[in-house]
Amino acid sequence: MVSGDLEKRREKGFTIAVASGKGGTGKTMVATNLALFAARSGASVTLVDCDVEAPNDHLFFQVDARAETVEVPIPEAPAEACPSGCTACRDTCRFGAIRILGGKPTVFSELCHGCGACALACPAGVLAERLVRVGEIESGRESEGLRLVTGRLDIGEVKAPPVIREARRVAEEEAAELTILDAPPGAACSAVATLQGADLVLLVTEPTAFGLHDLELMVELARALGLPAAVVLNREGTGLVDIAGYCDSQSLPLLARIPFDRSVAERYAEGELLIDSHPEGELWFSGLWQAIKSTSALADRETAA
Amino acid sequence: MKTLVIASGKGGTGKTTLSALFARFAAQARPLVVADCDVEASNLPLALRAEVTSREAFPGSEKAVVGEDLCSGCERCLDSCRFDAISMLVDGAARIDEWACEGCGACAPACSSGAISLEPRQAGELLGGECCSGAIVFGQLQPGQDLSGKLVTSVRERAKALAEEQGADLVLVDGPPGIGCPVIASISGADGLLAVAEPSLSGEHDLRRLVTLSRQLRVPVKVVLNKADLSAEAADKLRATCHEEGLELIGEVPFDEELLPTLERMAQEDVSETVTDTEDSPGIRAARSIWERLESWLAESPQHRSAGPAFVRLSPAPSNGS
Repeated sequence: MVSGDLEKRREKGFTIAVASGKGGTGKTMVATNLALFAARSGASVTLVDCDVEAPNDHLFFQVDARAETVEVPIPEAPAEACPSGCTACRDTCRFGAIRILGGKPTVFSELCHGCGACALACPAGVLAERLVRVGEIESGRESEGLRLVTGRLDIGEVKAPPVIREARRVAEEEAAELTILDAPPGAACSAVATLQGADLVLLVTEPTAFGLHDLELMVELARALGLPAAVVLNREGTGLVDIAGYCDSQSLPLLARIPFDRSVAERYAEGELLIDSHPEGELWFSGLWQAIKSTSALADRETAA
Repeated sequence: MKTLVIASGKGGTGKTTLSALFARFAAQARPLVVADCDVEASNLPLALRAEVTSREAFPGSEKAVVGEDLCSGCERCLDSCRFDAISMLVDGAARIDEWACEGCGACAPACSSGAISLEPRQAGELLGGECCSGAIVFGQLQPGQDLSGKLVTSVRERAKALAEEQGADLVLVDGPPGIGCPVIASISGADGLLAVAEPSLSGEHDLRRLVTLSRQLRVPVKVVLNKADLSAEAADKLRATCHEEGLELIGEVPFDEELLPTLERMAQEDVSETVTDTEDSPGIRAARSIWERLESWLAESPQHRSAGPAFVRLSPAPSNGS
């Protein structure tokens, strides 16, 4: 059983979701630097930008990307009034996405989840579905071999989770030893779509009352999903809250502490990765990478290999 | 009554910092209602020291449940589910992954033995209270629940009703990050949007997306450049972007290392007077003059919106043949 798990994991690779409840704590900074550091250390790495509302990972890499569209099925009202004259589709839809106007269904696509229940319920079989574009996925490799997959939600669309799921599916098309998922901020459905099935949730936080409040929510989410979590403390020295003490009290491994440094923020703002712009940056990420390997099942994999 | 939303595509640009300061400045002159529409991780109640006086359960979506011992193992439900939420256990019974289930109900009629029913879940809470700028409304979604857009709409509706009741002429909304469902719910029908941008490659990229969205939704937008002196190069680029896009840069707040600790102190003790009246850091000074400009912008903007918050734009999908 155990060896079977390891076998499966070797095929699947190891997946880390980099997440935080609060925005701007440094998820993208940690995900991009960690991905490139691991790639330089010889691992095959795929970085997946799951922050599909504001995807920024691609700004840090030169990638010749291939794009494909993400589509979801939504019901298409018949041209003529319905022969059955019933309201089965509207009554079936639990999201209020269908109204009957002029004897036929009218679809409000923003509310539609694309579940297909309405088409199944139509007794006359006149309610078909069509595919509607909600976003796109870009994928490609940068010069050092790191593979980057970016999910991007079309502006004005609301269906982020299908774009996240599709980005993860595209990522899985090519095997990688390590997959890093850069999660969107927040703790709702987009976060769940990113975290589900990860082997480790790496929670990035800052030492403020706000950082702690949102970290607690994410720890609750990771526990509800049954996923192991660990913490990266960013901008150490700026706030008034003792994150290390919180981690201790919750038995959460604190894997890295990155001090606040204005010049780090400045170079990062201009699109440079910390492991290139600052010598200590390489040390922090080397430490983080070692800590992940030793606290996670990656270690088992290497021993088993 | 006017609704002003503070938003940003990228997280961590300073939405809550500015919202908290604006709320305090505004409260010195008039009654207002503040609303935190980041229902996934609300921080404004912390920054404004909210005391909760009302809590209401926010009902979530339903989830499919397989009745014990009723499943015949026919597996028909598997094909009906588009969210990969159903799997067969070794004992031959269907199991629903409640995290993947969207509660659409497609599986229930597909079941040959009537074993699947839908059960409601509580998704979160709608909260109201008093804070140091007056009334506050916010939401807290339970971690992992969906329907954040719907809870945002409830927060906005409650805030609007409260403002009418109290004769307040301003609802100040601290928005969520991103440009998706909760953001659309936060800014639809608002009188103005202040986009908080930071001078970085990411900040500029995400600002463009937010501005495009606000124009689609026909919400007037102005930009504030926060942490303006963090990178001279990126700040220049952002100013050029605003110019190019015909966006008014209403002001700039310098990178002020004192601002965050001040905000944290505001959260921990009652220092409302000192913070807004006597503390004189460059960030606070800049925020105050931006608030004055925002107030005149709001005063000038026509009361053109009667729709109020809307979860969606409610434009029917183009249908075949019509």
